[in-house]
Amino acid sequence: MFSDQAIREVIYRACLALDAEEFETFMALCSPDFNYRLTVFSPEIRKDMTWLEQDYAGMKALLEMVPQHMTRPGSLKRHVSVYLIDRDGETATVTSSFIVIATDGNGKSSVFVTGNYYDDIDCSGDQPLLRSRRAHLETRDLGTGTHMPI
Amino acid sequence: MPSRDTETWQRAPAVPDTHYVSGLVYSDPEIFEEERSKIFGKVWALACHESELPKKFDFRTIDYAGTPIIVTRGGDGRVRSFVNVCSHRGAKLVNEVSGNTRRFICFYHQWAYDSEGACVGIPQPDAYNETGLRAEDCGLREVRTDSKYGLIFINLSDEAPTLNEFIGDALEPLSPMLTGTELEVFHYQRSEINANWKAWMETNLDTYHGLMHVLLRKTQVNSSREITLFLGGHAATGGSGQKYGDYGNWAAREESLALPGIGANEMKNGDLFPNFTILCRGTVIRIDTVTPISPHRLLVECRGLGVKGESESDRHQRIEHHNQYWGFAGRNWPEDAVAAERCEATFGSGAARHQIIAREENLRGNDDGMLRGFYAEWSRMMGRPANNPFNRS
Repeated sequence: MFSDQAIREVIYRACLALDAEEFETFMALCSPDFNYRLTVFSPEIRKDMTWLEQDYAGMKALLEMVPQHMTRPGSLKRHVSVYLIDRDGETATVTSSFIVIATDGNGKSSVFVTGNYYDDIDCSGDQPLLRSRRAHLETRDLGTGTHMPI
Repeated sequence: MPSRDTETWQRAPAVPDTHYVSGLVYSDPEIFEEERSKIFGKVWALACHESELPKKFDFRTIDYAGTPIIVTRGGDGRVRSFVNVCSHRGAKLVNEVSGNTRRFICFYHQWAYDSEGACVGIPQPDAYNETGLRAEDCGLREVRTDSKYGLIFINLSDEAPTLNEFIGDALEPLSPMLTGTELEVFHYQRSEINANWKAWMETNLDTYHGLMHVLLRKTQVNSSREITLFLGGHAATGGSGQKYGDYGNWAAREESLALPGIGANEMKNGDLFPNFTILCRGTVIRIDTVTPISPHRLLVECRGLGVKGESESDRHQRIEHHNQYWGFAGRNWPEDAVAAERCEATFGSGAARHQIIAREENLRGNDDGMLRGFYAEWSRMMGRPANNPFNRS
């Protein structure tokens, strides 16, 4: 079983890879049965919503197309705090909070979104891997949005 | 081709007056204030979908062009709307965006109103005996409300034509999709964007801008698109095929999931002047409404609709189809937002002088007819020509 530090690191490395838009590095941190879901609750329609859902192949394809799109100018920076690491056999369940800061082309920064990650980490192999991630947003107003997952 | 000096840059484009728009319509504060009264104060605007008020006493609150509104289904099943203002001290009466209540009770002094807008409770009323103030004179300000095809509209004007007169035949091309099965909203998202409200509406009316979207360049067959213009600045498009399998790892859409009256890989849109668009991508519907906040800021609200009571797997597939374009990391939505902000960056500062809407393709393909129809209605309602709103020589 991997240490808590090793489990935190896979989450931090995943954020650094997405921040840098190093998509192959991010996918290398995901297990082949990876599943990603971005959820948010709407008080307007009183429903839980899924705003993005991808398996490994879908996420890989989504990321590979990003450079062809006209994306928002500037960059996104994911700031993550890992709160809880719970273990069950070869799986670690991790609860983290995130704030994503958008910095525009002129260097002006603002909060883009905030929420929690609920991750399952596969600890059965040579390195811990993200098996599933649910990113639950508190933020519901996305401004100009993004082509990138959080 | 030579570049232009100040005089030639400011000169009107060499096209008919109806085929270009002055940059002032996006930036001038006087025009913005007039739009709120002359346009948004008189047209029917979407408040919500019927499925957002399924039960008696359900309510939604919205902000419509600076006016807070409560929309509620009364005990008699009828949907009514009111200005969301307490008659007493003018406080915003309801702060929640949705809920269910028989009584709207103002937090401030506990004045109470029923779902028909009547004032039904004034604490310590005897103190008003001296002045003769009566509860029956203190009801909420009702706003005209009507629905069509499950869409609930409001109108701030007591004198405007009826909803049916306003819409005319403009939603007929979409009626099979909207009425052939019971729909419900599964997706709601709002965003404030730094742009004039018309810049967002143009992303729905300007089919030519599909060139901006890599997804549309790969998947959309524009040559077969047909545009229909209606009275009142409304419009519809149809006949545009979609090759979803040509993007990333996507697949063509299964016909079994198609909504009534449309093929799964077909697209039909409808636009109601000034701020409403329905996009039907075969298997799923998105509804856009855009509301002005300031000359340089807009609110866009997007709803995704699926079939009420459908299987979990069908809903899952429909949500995926919705999100491919319009979800978080959707392939189209962020690009439209960036386009609106890029136009704001130039029209807002006055650097851009005109916008050209002069494509003529006999209302097929990427004809600018919908934009011209929009600005013809804008000019009529504003009493100002969109190409020269201050009649400057």
